[in-house]
Amino acid sequence: MPIQLNRVVGKEYPPYAVTVERGRIKDFARAIGDLNPLYLDDEVGRASEWGDVIAPPTFPISFRDESVDLLRDIGTDVSRLLHGEQEFEIFEPLRPGETYLCRSKIVDQYEKTGKTGPMGFVVRETAMTDKHNEVVARMRGITVVRL
Amino acid sequence: MKYGKVYFEDVQVGDELPHLVKGPIQQIQLTRYAGASGDFNPIHQDHEFAKAAGMGDVFAHGMLSMGFVAQSVTDWSGAGTVRKLGVRFLALVRLQDTVTCKGRVLAKSSKDDVHTVDLGIWAENPKGEKVVSGKATVALPVRG
Repeated sequence: MPIQLNRVVGKEYPPYAVTVERGRIKDFARAIGDLNPLYLDDEVGRASEWGDVIAPPTFPISFRDESVDLLRDIGTDVSRLLHGEQEFEIFEPLRPGETYLCRSKIVDQYEKTGKTGPMGFVVRETAMTDKHNEVVARMRGITVVRL
Repeated sequence: MKYGKVYFEDVQVGDELPHLVKGPIQQIQLTRYAGASGDFNPIHQDHEFAKAAGMGDVFAHGMLSMGFVAQSVTDWSGAGTVRKLGVRFLALVRLQDTVTCKGRVLAKSSKDDVHTVDLGIWAENPKGEKVVSGKATVALPVRG
């Protein structure tokens, strides 16, 4: 019997703040094996148009908070999860020392039957704002649950 | 030209990005990526867990492959140029797989002094199957 997911469309999570630490940017770039000096070399960063190192495009995926617990909310466990799609919009590169406020909400939820059986899809959007309340980046992810 | 800088005028629709070959994927890279990204799903770390979950064996985080694809774009266009990057995850990347990232220029446009290039981007496993596929938009400088 396929499992039944809780409906969470429209749920908005409380905003959470993330302060970007220089070392986290570097660990993230190195974990990918992307040794671009604009991510890793403080001198190169200082001489750049941004005045510091910047984060790679997919870095915001690491902006997590215990208050955003999608698994608990939809009522499933981690062994059933797959990543369906992911998108980033970056209006300004993210930088060390900055604090970003992240606002996440569930914008869609649906089910489909694929070749491996029934699947649940949950679409979450997160907007990140800087200290001037300007949106600097957005991400949109689709979590797939094998039902 | 490891870390590129490309000017808007020099890009033509149909141009291909240099291929970027990543891997072969090792368990240690998945462990390192878990730490860096905060995604500690044991399905990427623990063979027994992955097997019990019906996945056969551990597989790479989709986001790691997306990171590879992002690198293939910024190796060409420069870090800090990416305005938009979106992919679908199409197939699993397994231990020992190489991941070959490719891309092609789909369109160019200029508006309000911002010059952007749309790219089709994807990555292939050693069998030539697409593991991720999507689009990116980069903003490029002009020669002026």
